[in-house]
Amino acid sequence: MDVKKLLVFIGLTIYGLWVLAPYYLTIITSFKELVDVFSIPPKIVPFIDFKPTLEGYQRIFATKSGWTFITSLITATTATILALILGLLAAYGFSRFSRAPMNDERSFFILLTLRMLPPFAVVLPIVSYWVFFGLADTFFALIWTYTIFSIPLTVWLIKGFVDEIPKSIDDAARVDGYSFWRMFRRILIPLLGAGLVATTALVWLFLWNEFLFALKVAGGNVVTYTAHLPQLKLGQRTLWNVFAAMGVIGSIPPIIILILFRRYIIRLYLR
Amino acid sequence: MGVRKGSSIPIFLQLPATIVIWSLVGYVLIWLLYSIVHRYVPGSSPEFIGLGNFLEMLYDARLHSAVLRTIYYVGIGAFIEVFLGMIIALALVNYIKNDTIRFTLLILFITPMCLAEAVVSIIWLMLVTPEGYINCFLRYMGLPGVGWLSESLALTTLMMIDVWQWTPLPLLLVYAARSSIPVELYETAEIDRLSPFTTFRVVTWPFIRNAVLVSAILRVIFMYITIDKFIMITKGGPGFASEIIGYYVFVQSFSYRNVGYAAALGFLTMIIAAIITYFFWNMLRRRE
Repeated sequence: MDVKKLLVFIGLTIYGLWVLAPYYLTIITSFKELVDVFSIPPKIVPFIDFKPTLEGYQRIFATKSGWTFITSLITATTATILALILGLLAAYGFSRFSRAPMNDERSFFILLTLRMLPPFAVVLPIVSYWVFFGLADTFFALIWTYTIFSIPLTVWLIKGFVDEIPKSIDDAARVDGYSFWRMFRRILIPLLGAGLVATTALVWLFLWNEFLFALKVAGGNVVTYTAHLPQLKLGQRTLWNVFAAMGVIGSIPPIIILILFRRYIIRLYLR
Repeated sequence: MGVRKGSSIPIFLQLPATIVIWSLVGYVLIWLLYSIVHRYVPGSSPEFIGLGNFLEMLYDARLHSAVLRTIYYVGIGAFIEVFLGMIIALALVNYIKNDTIRFTLLILFITPMCLAEAVVSIIWLMLVTPEGYINCFLRYMGLPGVGWLSESLALTTLMMIDVWQWTPLPLLLVYAARSSIPVELYETAEIDRLSPFTTFRVVTWPFIRNAVLVSAILRVIFMYITIDKFIMITKGGPGFASEIIGYYVFVQSFSYRNVGYAAALGFLTMIIAAIITYFFWNMLRRRE
């Protein structure tokens, strides 16, 4: 019995190391000077094996690399807000008027299949679309594309939250003489509260992490931090410490969202 | 009662999102339907060839090996992720009794899946590049370095990276399902002196089965449609050694500018994705 327990603990420890070691190495690499990055014996303990430096981070914020984070922030945030507005209306319709045209289950599934489309299969037509309108590689194109591909997820999540609010509450508000919009603003949105915040966080997270559209729909003038990563690799030598520092900064928002919204992340996949 | 002023509200709610989506998706569909029946390389005018693009696929050896590689990468990768995730989730719930420690471990374990694919790629590039950390450690211990990105190992390395990033998904789903099982069932199983294996089969499995299936569906589909790591780490190489279907479509689209053929391939991969979804979805429905 105890032997079994011991084996389980050893197993979990090994799994924990497997998960954490790569991330630990990334963090320490971001504080290394380039000459210290790969050495034999490997330098893995800061202050003892090597002297930490902020060189990697300074390089990022001294060059245009720093701006790519701002670009990611702007595009992800704007698109999330737009998707939230459009998605909230649609989700309410799907939840409350499930027999009306365009609100039925089939329309809902057509919407959801958008999320299962292989991005590599649609990215070329999307690029062609923005080239056609002369808007390729602009903030507008990237934000609009992001908005469209975030709507399914937004609707899916919010519909679940609306379903939990009894319809009798809407009806009561209407009987009391609230107009539709007033009911929406004063009753529904406050009741959705935490659900809307969680939806915002998750949709934003997906856009912050998005890569292929960022690379091809934009990627020249408008460069998000993910699309910037392959560009960093093109130099004469690879600046591993800058690479690692980019990774560390890029992973801070996801980790914060994970810690704050862990319950909703479980929910996202359970429905 | 709710909709007093006639039934214009339901449609009005859907219209903004529908118009926005179809303004782009409509173009994408028309573009695809037009392109798949044409031979089209930018700079020349499109030439109608009917099903020619699809016939070409039958003779495209590079595509065939990409298909085999995709089956290897997705099949084995998704299996390892689901199996490992399930084991770790059950071990956590069964053996870590302290709530705080268990929850902290869970959060630590699922961190990788919240990171961007591109970030995960650079994290691992540092480890598997020929002069990278893993080889540094190996050489330090007097062992020869391993060519993680060599022709024979590149695809398996990418699979390993995907396992690192996405085992958390099945882990999380199975953990949630396992936590919802009433303790009394296990107490009954103990009284009945059921063996651990029988307890798993009779008590645990019926509750976690859907979580396992759903995570398998999601992993198969998303491994199949995500090529970020391939763009970042190997670019399909060395040679074509790590080229899966998605990356091949990407190369045909953006390197060879073989628009008609790329569109036909993309169209076919979409249909395959839809079939996989439908197949698994039915399986899930039937089991319920």
